[in-house]
Amino acid sequence: MTPNETVVFALVFLPFLAAATVPLVFRALGERTAYYAAAVALACFALTVSQLGRHGAVGVPWIPAYGVTLRFYVDGLSLLVGLLASGVGVLVFTYSGAYMHAEPGKRKYYATLLAFMGSMLGVAFAADLVALFVFWELTSVSSFLLIGHYEETAPGRYAARKSMLVTVGGGLFMLVGFLLLHDATGTFALAGTPDALLTNPEATHAALVDAGLLWPVVALVGIGAAAKSAQWPLHIWLPNAMEAPTPVSAFLHSATMVKAGVYLVGRLRPLLVGEEWTLLFATLGLVTMTVAAILAVAATDIKELLAYSTASHLGLIVAGFGFANIYGAEAGAFHILNHALFKAALFLVAGIVAHEAGTRRIDELGGLRHELPVTAGITVVAALSMAGVPPFNGFYSKELLFEAAVHAAEHAGGAAWLFPVLAVVGSVFTFLYSVRFLMLFFGETPAELGHVHRPPTLMLAPPLLLAVLAAVVGAVPQLAVDTVIQSVFESASGSHKHMHVGLPTHVSPALVMSALAIGGGLVAYPFLDALIGAIRRGLAVGPLTPNWYYDRLVNGATATSAAVTPVVQNGLLRTYAAWALGAAAVGTLAAYAAASVTLPAGVAVNLTLPVLLVLGVGVVAAAAVSVAPSHVAGVLTLSILGFMIAIFYILASAPDLALTQLVVETLVLVLFLLVLDKLPSFYGEARRAVVARDAVLSVVVGATVTLTVLLATSAKPEGGVTTAGLVERATGPGGGGNVVNVILVDIRAFDTLGEISVVAMAALGIVTLVAMREQGETQ
Amino acid sequence: MTTTILRTTARTVVPLIIVVSVALFVQGHNQPGGGFIAGVLTTTAFALVYITYGIDFLEEQVFDRTVEDVVSHLQHGIVADYRRLFVVGLAVAAGSGLVPLYWDVPFLAQDHWYVHGVPLWNKVHVASAIVFDLGVYFVVVGALLTILSVVGAE
Repeated sequence: MTPNETVVFALVFLPFLAAATVPLVFRALGERTAYYAAAVALACFALTVSQLGRHGAVGVPWIPAYGVTLRFYVDGLSLLVGLLASGVGVLVFTYSGAYMHAEPGKRKYYATLLAFMGSMLGVAFAADLVALFVFWELTSVSSFLLIGHYEETAPGRYAARKSMLVTVGGGLFMLVGFLLLHDATGTFALAGTPDALLTNPEATHAALVDAGLLWPVVALVGIGAAAKSAQWPLHIWLPNAMEAPTPVSAFLHSATMVKAGVYLVGRLRPLLVGEEWTLLFATLGLVTMTVAAILAVAATDIKELLAYSTASHLGLIVAGFGFANIYGAEAGAFHILNHALFKAALFLVAGIVAHEAGTRRIDELGGLRHELPVTAGITVVAALSMAGVPPFNGFYSKELLFEAAVHAAEHAGGAAWLFPVLAVVGSVFTFLYSVRFLMLFFGETPAELGHVHRPPTLMLAPPLLLAVLAAVVGAVPQLAVDTVIQSVFESASGSHKHMHVGLPTHVSPALVMSALAIGGGLVAYPFLDALIGAIRRGLAVGPLTPNWYYDRLVNGATATSAAVTPVVQNGLLRTYAAWALGAAAVGTLAAYAAASVTLPAGVAVNLTLPVLLVLGVGVVAAAAVSVAPSHVAGVLTLSILGFMIAIFYILASAPDLALTQLVVETLVLVLFLLVLDKLPSFYGEARRAVVARDAVLSVVVGATVTLTVLLATSAKPEGGVTTAGLVERATGPGGGGNVVNVILVDIRAFDTLGEISVVAMAALGIVTLVAMREQGETQ
Repeated sequence: MTTTILRTTARTVVPLIIVVSVALFVQGHNQPGGGFIAGVLTTTAFALVYITYGIDFLEEQVFDRTVEDVVSHLQHGIVADYRRLFVVGLAVAAGSGLVPLYWDVPFLAQDHWYVHGVPLWNKVHVASAIVFDLGVYFVVVGALLTILSVVGAE
């Protein structure tokens, strides 16, 4: 059954609409805007549920000239991501109502969070590469605002900028990948039409191989997905992003944002899967899974631990999708759901702990089960699921990953046996940090921990619901598989095999690996402190961490700008003019050289005596300007030049240009009169070096302009815009005798509209600059 | 800067410049002229007033308002009026472009008619483009005067 067009458009655009109305709603409802937002999320959730089981695409043309459409595609994968984004959205908004009680900037917070949810739904359903990219970048922009929610704090700004640079930068790589994909296949349509990429994955794959673009596309899309899904070494923004309020962390890091990259990997898997794909994504995923798990073990802050753990689990999903066998697709598809359930619950638990105990430092917390019994129960389910302990839900998807790794190793042999080894090592560390998180609630209560409050019911209900769902999936995994995961698996693999999941009934390699992971974790646990010490010593070595490179790069760029600015912009108008003119001239000449343009042969010069006389006077005036002893003399000789040009226009039968030149010249002259008595009457002695520099610059600029005029006037535009044609159009349909003016206001009126907008903007800019300076805003 | 000669000349010349600019604007469709040229010329007239009578003359003598400092000048004074002028100009230009959509012709499409039986002229050539040109005129005058008076006040 095809999806309902109105419903799909509504569920993507409703959050944006709601975000736009938040300022109004906030005026009426105040803090209770949280429940308005939750209701919007619930509506989106209900609309998504109503499309369950449907399959197909709906859309409207967007940029028909380039074949871009605003098309949405509904299938298992998009429905799962949509359900997670809107479903977790409901819980996060409800939780925010209590959590954000005493926080600043609630209006901005709810509007941005709603817009973010809409962007995420857009990413999930977009069936056009351009539309997908637009929604993708919208998630980056809105998450930038959310992460930088505490805009007054330096860590908040640092985190927001980092996430922006990494994810938007990655998005640009992805855009190039999409353009190459379009170049090889000739379509932007991702799915849902007869010629769409996913409709014929084999043909697309073959076209890419033929064009020699498979590797570039896989790598570019991989960078985009890795930046978004926090894969090593681009995971660095994720721990910093914990600066955001906890509900934002829960939302961004469990159900949305980071899932966008994973979604993309799953979505494009049928198109690009192959040896290159496995090599890149399976390696990337497993390395991320292990490195991030090691970092999580050494974390000092509970949210930091969860952030690294998120990166690690995303690594698991990416690795799953990376393996070319069907177990890989099963692992990736199932773990998207499992991870969202237990990780959202754990983030909300972290929020409760931070809120009620007043600290997030792991060494200062312990024995919380006495004060927070329900929270402790939630944590047991979620943390054991995260650790991959049977019979909790995380176990099943991890088993599938082990199975996929073993199969891939058997298939490829040799170095591919590193895949299962890496997977087990990563899982040992996963077990360790999960237990570490769990131990917040057990063991001794540290003496310095103050009184711990009971959380309000509204904060407790969302994580409880998530934990119950996780437990249900753990108890009857086949139920989740049948309702949701089967169709996700089909979207990601293109296969229709019936997926079966359950507790293992016989000893398989995967089961042995699970046992090794849990056993290894139990053996290593007593030595946890020594292990943490060792990891932290390793992290102290700067060049071993990607952060070191990021900071070097950003600080280096800042320092370079700071060093360059006083040279280029030293507050003297002549310096600005020299740099601007010089850069424009050099850039133009370089472009000509790059395009290897040739001068038109035989430029017809037809000079009559009057024209020669006028131009001669102009040249003399120009020479006189440069030696004028005072401003008055300089301005007047400059005017001579201007008026000579006007006369030249008249002689060349261009009365409109002449008129324009005359009035502008007059205005400039009058303006000079206005400022003249403010200037010193005589110039100082110019230094020889400065004169030489100015002379060289003048010659270069003059040569550039001359060359440009020669090239521009000799160019014959394609499509045959001719003077005669323009005259005919102007006097005929345009109905005006003044061809120049008809071109301005009719034939090219859109250009004119742009030009007057620029004039208006320039005026606004000057007003703003002056007003800001007067109000003492120097920053 | 201000001398009796300049004042006397300006008093005669400024109205003449404005009349000429209006003439240039109106005849723009068929003869040299048009919104941009007329706008620059009008601005020149105002610039002449500024030079002759000083920057606050219009504000204090003509509109009978008091100006305190630059910021209030920007926010309430004559600069705000200039700003409004170019905003109106942009709205007129863009709005005139929207009108043709009603007849299902593209944005900014123009037309022209001959109106007969007008007293004195008998036959007048009317082009819809003049509305757009009026927008251009307003923007040019408003923006240039904004710049002129803000920078001039410095």
